[in-house]
Amino acid sequence: MNRLKNIAFIVFIMTTASCNKFLDVEPKASISGDNIIVDETSANAALNGVYSALRTYYSVDFQSIAYLSGDNVQWTGSQSQVQEFINHQVNAENATITSTWKEIYVAVNRANQVIKNVNELAENVISDDVRRRIAGEAYFIRALAYFDLARTWGGVPLITEPTASPTDNAGVMRSSLADTYNLVLADLNQAEELLQETTNRFQATKKTVWALKARYFLYRGDWQQAVDYASRLIIDQTNYSLLSPYYAFFADGVTGTRESVFEIFYNANELNPHRGQWQPQQNGGTRQWAPNTTFVNLVNDPTTGGSRSALVAKDNQNRWYGNLYYRSPATDPTYVIRIAELYLIRAEAYAQLGKLEEAMADLNAVRNRAGLTPTTTSTRDNVLLAIENERRLEFGLEAHRWFDLVRTGRAQTVLNISDANRLLMPLPAEQILVDKALEQNPGY
Amino acid sequence: MQTQKRTVRFVPSLISLFFLIFFTERLAAQQTKPLINSTLKGQVLDSITKEPLPGALVHIEGTTHSVSTDEEGSFGFVTGQKFPYTLEVSYIGYEKKKIIVSESKIEILLTPGFNQLNDVVVVGYTTQQRKNLIGSVTKVNPAESKDIPAGGFDAQLQGKVSGVQISSNTGVPGEAVNIRLRGATSINASNDPLYVIDGVFLNTNSLQTVNTGGKATSPIADINPADIESIEVLKDAEATALYGSRGANGVIIITTKRGNFNQKPKVAFNFSQGIAKAAKLWELTTGPEHATLVNEYYRNIGQPEPFRPVSDVVNGVAGRGLPAEQQTYDRLGEAFRTAALTNADLSISGGSTDTRYYIGGGYNRQESILKPISFDRLSFKVNLDQKISERVQIGTSNTIGRTGRNQARAGDGPQGGLLQAALHTPTYLSPYNDQGVLVGRAGFDNLTLLLENYDVSSTSLRYIGNIYADIQLSSDLKFRSTFSLDYNNYDESEYWNNLLIAGSPNGLATSAVGQSTTWINEQTLTYRKKINQRHDVGVLIGNTLQGSTLKRTSATGRGFASNDFKLISSAATTTSSQDWEKYNLASFFGRIDYAFDDKYLIDFSLRADGSSRFGSADPWGYFPAVGAAWRIKRENFLKTLAYLDDLKIRASYGSTGNQNGIGAFAARRLWSGVGSSYQGVPGIAPEQLANRELRWERTDQLNIGFDATLFKQALDISFNWYRKYTKDGLLPVTLAATTGYDSYTSNAAEISNKGFEFALVSRNIRKTDFSWQTSFNIARNVNKIEKLENPLNYGSRDLILFQEGHPLYSFWVYNQLYVDPQTGDVVYEDVNGDGRITTADRKIMGSIWPDFYGGLTNNLTFKGFDATIFFVFSYGNEIYNHNRFFGEAGGARDAARVIFASNLDRWQQPGDITDVPRSDGVNVNNYKDGGSRWLEDGSYLRLRSLTIGYTLPKHITDRWHLDRLRVYLQGNNLFTWTKYTGLDPEAAASSDPNEQGIDLGTPPQPRSFQLGINLTL
Repeated sequence: MNRLKNIAFIVFIMTTASCNKFLDVEPKASISGDNIIVDETSANAALNGVYSALRTYYSVDFQSIAYLSGDNVQWTGSQSQVQEFINHQVNAENATITSTWKEIYVAVNRANQVIKNVNELAENVISDDVRRRIAGEAYFIRALAYFDLARTWGGVPLITEPTASPTDNAGVMRSSLADTYNLVLADLNQAEELLQETTNRFQATKKTVWALKARYFLYRGDWQQAVDYASRLIIDQTNYSLLSPYYAFFADGVTGTRESVFEIFYNANELNPHRGQWQPQQNGGTRQWAPNTTFVNLVNDPTTGGSRSALVAKDNQNRWYGNLYYRSPATDPTYVIRIAELYLIRAEAYAQLGKLEEAMADLNAVRNRAGLTPTTTSTRDNVLLAIENERRLEFGLEAHRWFDLVRTGRAQTVLNISDANRLLMPLPAEQILVDKALEQNPGY
Repeated sequence: MQTQKRTVRFVPSLISLFFLIFFTERLAAQQTKPLINSTLKGQVLDSITKEPLPGALVHIEGTTHSVSTDEEGSFGFVTGQKFPYTLEVSYIGYEKKKIIVSESKIEILLTPGFNQLNDVVVVGYTTQQRKNLIGSVTKVNPAESKDIPAGGFDAQLQGKVSGVQISSNTGVPGEAVNIRLRGATSINASNDPLYVIDGVFLNTNSLQTVNTGGKATSPIADINPADIESIEVLKDAEATALYGSRGANGVIIITTKRGNFNQKPKVAFNFSQGIAKAAKLWELTTGPEHATLVNEYYRNIGQPEPFRPVSDVVNGVAGRGLPAEQQTYDRLGEAFRTAALTNADLSISGGSTDTRYYIGGGYNRQESILKPISFDRLSFKVNLDQKISERVQIGTSNTIGRTGRNQARAGDGPQGGLLQAALHTPTYLSPYNDQGVLVGRAGFDNLTLLLENYDVSSTSLRYIGNIYADIQLSSDLKFRSTFSLDYNNYDESEYWNNLLIAGSPNGLATSAVGQSTTWINEQTLTYRKKINQRHDVGVLIGNTLQGSTLKRTSATGRGFASNDFKLISSAATTTSSQDWEKYNLASFFGRIDYAFDDKYLIDFSLRADGSSRFGSADPWGYFPAVGAAWRIKRENFLKTLAYLDDLKIRASYGSTGNQNGIGAFAARRLWSGVGSSYQGVPGIAPEQLANRELRWERTDQLNIGFDATLFKQALDISFNWYRKYTKDGLLPVTLAATTGYDSYTSNAAEISNKGFEFALVSRNIRKTDFSWQTSFNIARNVNKIEKLENPLNYGSRDLILFQEGHPLYSFWVYNQLYVDPQTGDVVYEDVNGDGRITTADRKIMGSIWPDFYGGLTNNLTFKGFDATIFFVFSYGNEIYNHNRFFGEAGGARDAARVIFASNLDRWQQPGDITDVPRSDGVNVNNYKDGGSRWLEDGSYLRLRSLTIGYTLPKHITDRWHLDRLRVYLQGNNLFTWTKYTGLDPEAAASSDPNEQGIDLGTPPQPRSFQLGINLTL
């Protein structure tokens, strides 16, 4: 009997041995650790992670803020948060506002992670060329992220170090709009210095930085610099040109055409859900938003739309839908910067500088490509108005119209907004609750 | 790689365990030299009918000797004991008897008893007699409810156990039900009770990945309710603490049927067939009514009426025809059906002297009232026990089931949404376009195309089983070792052809296989000794090791040459993904109990649990509990009180833990490759911040109660009062977005639950030919979030808010005070008094928690007839009628949504008194998202089932060589008394525990009728 008890006891002990090792289970789907950027391969992988964050915020959310808030798009679905943009009555609880804010800061954190860690890598694990390229691209993405934050919300908390623990980078006060734009410029300068002058339409190069700088200076009213930086790409005609007809840059499944300065890449594994919002049910979409009657009339009018009428099409219930994002599988690129924008940036900057001839030439280059007759107008204001109207159609379903009207101070007049506070979006209500340092924009 | 090695390390110890079993057997054989001192033969009979009682247990007191009676009720001992000695004879449903025997050939008469005090109740790792229970435990006889059409036994328990709140959220059989035992203790960790079936801890997480509109399948539906012998619900800390980390939400122990030793084969066959139909459907506006309301909206906002003569073209847009010219198309009638229900099960059980067995098979098929959804289950059960020697018994329990489902999106989501197509599509819109082609309207699928082309199905293969060995080391000491496995292979596929939105333009197919495996190895050593007839001491120690792995592989194909190609291999582009998760648990536990004179009972238990989820820093949690009971009736001063049969006061206090529901690697800093690639080149991105302090969520519970039996056991009363307080509640704490992270898992919440439970069983009439028994239970639970730094929103339009000082699952709405009779505009409560209605004016108004809930059952028998009338009720709970929110938008949603008939009561002219305002747009003022107008009282009283049965007289069945034959008719959900204007006050669109109480696109639980037979041979 005693032997029995002893055996039972031994078995009991055996089965319970080495418990703490038993409780140490390593993940497989993810990797665990404090820093994973240790060499060239992992640094490149981490940079792809930054692009993937950019891809996330640029697929639907951020773009929809810009075009829904304009005057080209109507809403046909059930989510009233979409209607809020169209009515210019955006609530601080708006789901798109919340997700966009979060997604942009995810991109910022990932860029910070790359910038910091790549710069700290030892020389024997990464070549200097690669280090400069990776850091430069991360600076560019961070610049674009803060630029988008600034034009949507105004001055924002400036985060330039990666987050390592839950207390890092929280409770940071908003900076002024000027400081936010200064960080954008500083990052663009860094990127310009680090990157090579090559052509890559899916990743940032020195040329991509110049293009964003042109836009930056247009927003900042530094007309001469806007002209200079836009010119650097416009003269590079072997790599960048206005494709004719208009739809040549997106129709028939093309990607990375010579029209494109920077577009975001998608494939069957990296899908872009954007088309689902635009396409009608017969094409597997929800047509949650659709071109409104005014826009449909404008693009279909041969004197204003020209070949841009390809932006809209009719479904089997005789309803118009937007057709810029149409591919199946959903791999439509996001067009961040096209060469047409640089023509129109330069046109506007020339006009502001009083160089109406040059302005008209750039404007008519874009009109000509759409199959339209040249504009003949004389005064500076008329040229600026013509550029504004041209941009409305040229970038009809892209993320421009709202920012253009706010930038030129025309939003209240054109969109009939009485409350100037509505020109900035509200900070997400949830974030105001979570982070006591955040101050809401006035009027919300 | 490393983890595999670790698992392997335990295999040798398991092998050694089984060597031990056989070794012991040999040892035992060597040691027991048979020494025959007496031979006893006898028979056990019913004292009234003098019928033999097969399977009664006869035990020689003070020894390990016991035998079961055979089919003639006979038994025999050949033993070393000398006459005289005491026999203990017990049989389920009869009063236990002690008898001193001094010679062979005796006749023992057992009296049928109503006495539940001696009922054997299964508690943590052991069994106890009801009279000696210290904890709060409710035993359920599942026979009464097993015919209620529901996928799983959990849904059938509704209203049967005090303190257990169960809501069947949909009319889709086999989908998850919401079950809460004494409230909810956690925000992020699971609030589901622990299910233990024959010692196996059940996986209750759905493996479903396809989108069925928010609902998930229930893994509990893999088990055939017909195989269940008894269900015990463990509620307080004393009862659950031995389950430590798993016990915070209560424990439900399921014991399946086994044979009896010395029992001739018994065959049981049950069959039923039934129909189900919706008790009511939504009332919608007709086409002309819809058009009138839409015109009214456009008039209100100063725009031209769209329903005007076709010839009337405004801004290039033609009119849609006058309201009176509009057609009405009925889609609900097309989507709903009279559904068929079938159930059949067959079992054989029996046993010889050393072997007993139970073999069962079952088939169940239930159609949903909503086409094309259906559920079917094929299950097998084999339970086997073998005595190897007097000291050693081994055995096994096995459940194998195959559950098949035809699924559909009956919930939220535009693509493929059945009720979006059937309910939410405006009635005036034709299913055909101008060319006579079927088209989807309002952004939803075309219903006819959807019903014809739906192709979503899943198959769950489930094995739940264990093997055990019991070794009686001495008359007081028993060792038990078990090895258990719960394996689930869940295979699902969906195919959307190009006639459906999801499959346009070229088809879409998805296939996913998920596998969840949980193994458990457990050892217990129990010691029980009675000293001087008055001191009863018991000791239990044990350990458990558990490993759980979840694997999933899925593939998606897009672009098919035609609708005839359905397999992913024919797709133009394919993508795939793979998931893997694993966690381990190690536990040690012990309990000491002591009873003095069956009068004073006390016990103490402790469990230590280590979980890999908390990382390697400090995975351990310690969960103690103490309980005491005083059987006052046994005191002299109550002995003379004749009407009081028994009275016991109980109290317990203890801790339990929780770690379910958080990620397997929640404590670590993680980097992920998923979704981080760019241009097809792999990428990596930060995924999660570390929390090295992460630890167990713990719930302390105090329970005070009493049990009384009165009037010659005509009345049983049980009452419990409890207070639960949960600390270190696991929660995804929201981070400032500037960190680049959404949240991290932390111990940040505190939640309390307080309440009481009352249950009574009254045997009103106890005659041989006529009996009437009433069971009633009622419970109240008050839930409150005691600590939560930042409020958390859940559900569509932030309808649900978790906020400190309020219950979990509270509704957060704008309080509509009234509709101004002059303007027709809604006046909301201006909570902060700033003269504007903003988000700051949303407030918490009610929650899904009822003030009280329970059930009432009446069982009647008259000669061969039996009847059961069973009600469930819930009072004071709220429900958000989200269907009506969409359907009552006053014409502003125009062609995008149906309009409910209730919208016709809108304000039209000054002086109108109504709560439905004039239409001013979507989410403007009058039809504001989150308005309280759609928050409704969800109280209900439901006639859950009514059964009438007839058992054929014995002389007839004898002639047919049958043991028993009963036929019955059962009706379910026959009547529901409720003020709720939706179809089912229990409805919820989502299986997310934090989004309960929102009714959107949910088919109701149907009214059903079944005709069945029970046959035993």
